[in-house]
Amino acid sequence: MVSKRFVLKRLLMLFPVLFGVATVVFAILHLSPGDPAVVIAGERASQEFVNQVRADLGLDDPLWQQYVRFLGEVATFDFGQSYQVNRGAEVSQILADRLPITIELALLGQLAGLLFGLPLGILSAVKQDTWTDHLTRIGALSGISIPIYWSGPLLILLFAQFLGLLPTSGRIGSEYFVEPVTGLILVDTLLAGNIAAFRSAVIHLLLPVIVLGIYQMALLSRMMRSSMVEVIRQDYMRTARAKGQGSKITVMKHGLRNAFIPVITVIGIQFGSLLGGAVLTETVFEINGIGTLLVDAINRSDYPVVQGTVLVFAVLYTLVNLGVDLTYSVLDPRIEQ
Amino acid sequence: MSRNTTETSRRSFLQRAGGATVATASVTSLAGCGGDGGDGGDGGDGSNGSNGSDGGDTTSLRYGRGAHSSTLDPQNTTSGEVAKVTNQAYEGLIAFQPGEASLTESLATDWSLDGDSVTLTLREGVSFHDGSEFTADDFIATYRRFVDDDYEYHFEDASVYGPFTLGNWIDSIEAPSDYELSITLTQTYAPFLRNLAMFAAVVISQDAIEGDTNLGEEMVGTGPFQLETLDDANNRIRLTAFDDYWGEAPNVDEVLFLTRGQNSTRAQSLVEEELDIIDGLDPDSMQIIEGSDTAENRTATGINIGYMAFNLSRVEAFRDRRVRRAISYAIDTQAIVENIYSGIATQADQPIPPALFGHNDDISPYEYDPDQAQSLLEEAGYGDGFSFSLTTFQNPRGYNPAPLPTAETIRSNLSEVGIEVSIDDRQFSDYLTYTSQGSHDATLAGWYTDNADPDNFCYVLLHPQTDVPEGQDWVSWDTEGFNTSNNAAWSNSEYMSVVEEAQRTTNQEERAELYREAAQIAHDEAPWVFIDYADEVRGVSNGVSNYTVAAIGGPYLDAVELE
Repeated sequence: MVSKRFVLKRLLMLFPVLFGVATVVFAILHLSPGDPAVVIAGERASQEFVNQVRADLGLDDPLWQQYVRFLGEVATFDFGQSYQVNRGAEVSQILADRLPITIELALLGQLAGLLFGLPLGILSAVKQDTWTDHLTRIGALSGISIPIYWSGPLLILLFAQFLGLLPTSGRIGSEYFVEPVTGLILVDTLLAGNIAAFRSAVIHLLLPVIVLGIYQMALLSRMMRSSMVEVIRQDYMRTARAKGQGSKITVMKHGLRNAFIPVITVIGIQFGSLLGGAVLTETVFEINGIGTLLVDAINRSDYPVVQGTVLVFAVLYTLVNLGVDLTYSVLDPRIEQ
Repeated sequence: MSRNTTETSRRSFLQRAGGATVATASVTSLAGCGGDGGDGGDGGDGSNGSNGSDGGDTTSLRYGRGAHSSTLDPQNTTSGEVAKVTNQAYEGLIAFQPGEASLTESLATDWSLDGDSVTLTLREGVSFHDGSEFTADDFIATYRRFVDDDYEYHFEDASVYGPFTLGNWIDSIEAPSDYELSITLTQTYAPFLRNLAMFAAVVISQDAIEGDTNLGEEMVGTGPFQLETLDDANNRIRLTAFDDYWGEAPNVDEVLFLTRGQNSTRAQSLVEEELDIIDGLDPDSMQIIEGSDTAENRTATGINIGYMAFNLSRVEAFRDRRVRRAISYAIDTQAIVENIYSGIATQADQPIPPALFGHNDDISPYEYDPDQAQSLLEEAGYGDGFSFSLTTFQNPRGYNPAPLPTAETIRSNLSEVGIEVSIDDRQFSDYLTYTSQGSHDATLAGWYTDNADPDNFCYVLLHPQTDVPEGQDWVSWDTEGFNTSNNAAWSNSEYMSVVEEAQRTTNQEERAELYREAAQIAHDEAPWVFIDYADEVRGVSNGVSNYTVAAIGGPYLDAVELE
């Protein structure tokens, strides 16, 4: 059983993490070249106009004042308004609109990785050193080695350009407009009862999810295999078999539970990289999640949006890790100690 | 609540408030249809038509572009990307003739500019999308929101176009009647009527300005299309035909603005009939279209210029016109235009593009002549060469589709005459900051017209707009009030007086003659290396007719017909 103290301790850890991330983001943004006031005012603006914009945004205040103000914003999770990406809109609203898009993509990628990666890993371990094992391992190694910015365009070329089977960009066909309720396009199309729109969303998300899932699948199958191979050799497995239990039951009942612990760690840690992968995938497939938002905001010196997005990434990453810790303290109560 | 939701509720409100003319059966539809079918990879199978509540015969024009609108407020941006959408829903007092640089009627039916006095007669019987009637007060409210600090509803985030187009020039504005406007200018300013035709000067409903409408997310104009859905999550905007439009009704029921960031993806979507019209094409994506039998490239002469500016404020060698002319001879701009900008630009020779009045046809480009360059450099005392840094942006711009290869060519050309160039390439926001501070030795730059007036090039880009020391044809960057758009810091007194006189001359032919003179001075003095005038290129599906490629004021989508 997970103690409240453990959870509370981990939640409290969020504050120093956020403080650190906020400070680093602030420093990087203010050290990097490019004056947001010039970008906002545009090429036509006079120096006087630029100075006015700078004053309005408080960008001419001493850096420490800007920093203190920013920390205040972080504390209240109010990052102000977007300078450029969505002029005048609240950053929190923009993030609320965009976050579900990335989460949906990351979850689907994770799901695809789990659905294919775990069975392949188990199969590979059970059929150790057979052709099935070799093929799976080669496939997994390739999956880990191919970066998204290469596999993405390649799959687009194959399925969209040459075969004309799948669309190249976006989350849904241009003719479908669905009321955003959850922000998750698959859920929203279903809630609207619009099956044609749902089908269009599925077809649009197929390639991005495959691209995102390949890496997950490869990594998980490798982890699952090595963990499983180790567990199979343990004494208690031999004992179980000696007691007359069938090999399938042994594997499922005793093997899986123990083999899962390191795998779950990897799933947790990988969810962070999955978010990073979602950034690349979103860019390749022109999906409008917080990944493309971040890239867009950096390119346009939109400080409030960059700061908000990076902090949301940090919170997500930390929470997922907490979730992982909680999960394996359930699987193995000794970890909590 | 997302913006998408907000929009739908706004429309529901309008339906209740605006009466039957505003509300149509189709507006409640969440799923329209791709009228001309053929959506290939979308997974559409022809059943899409049945999703529309209006029986499935909606004609939908799909316009593909490279970026989504960052706002819907024409007073909050200098972005042409925003203008493409706002131009469908809003109208100015005066408009540009589609595909031309000349002016035509819009919300004003008659106008005159006499000295510093402008009078306009306004169109009667025009409705805004919110059902209110257009009068002179709407223009006054629009103007005051843009520039008047004392106005209760003044827009604090107004773009630089506020002072640039209206604020700097208007002294007072009155409405003798509901359909007359009388404007007094701060001085005789000939380009003023063209400023009224700019996208930023469109008329917004006074009710919307003084009510609680969020004009960043809603559009309340008088244009042929009205906002149906702003879908930021999917980077698209849906407009529907405005039933109460005063002019000829649009030929399509709805317009979809769709975003495809990659040029090649956009071109591919056009070829596969997922889009009807696209813009922002480069040579590679034009090839995709050329090779297809479903769409074609269409071009029109652009009103823009790409150039390299010498910073006279910073580099002493550039203050000698012989050095500037030598470099103009030493750079093979013809090769740059033909080989690097392959087929989408013409060689430039003066600041005024050929599509504008005042362009001097007697001028021809500097010919590539390294020998002439070398002898000019020797004459100026720079026979052994010198070195400078060339600042450039990294991303392609319309007037410079390949900035880095352009800079490389310049470096290689100039090394032949002993000048060593180091390339300083920067990300665009950094580039803007750096050059606006005058930190560059020389910079690649360019300009798209705001109002299709030669003043918009000659005065904005090459006039210092401040006092300059006598007998000196450059100005220090730190000079109070210096116009930083003049990134050459050039201040030739002869040129300045001609351009100022042209601003005060209202007779068109006399103005044109003055600009021809100014163009000749600029060509001879060479504060820039004139590189190119880029064409306007659009990819257009074969099913589209009646579409005019326009360098300013467009896109004109209400006239478009779909097969």
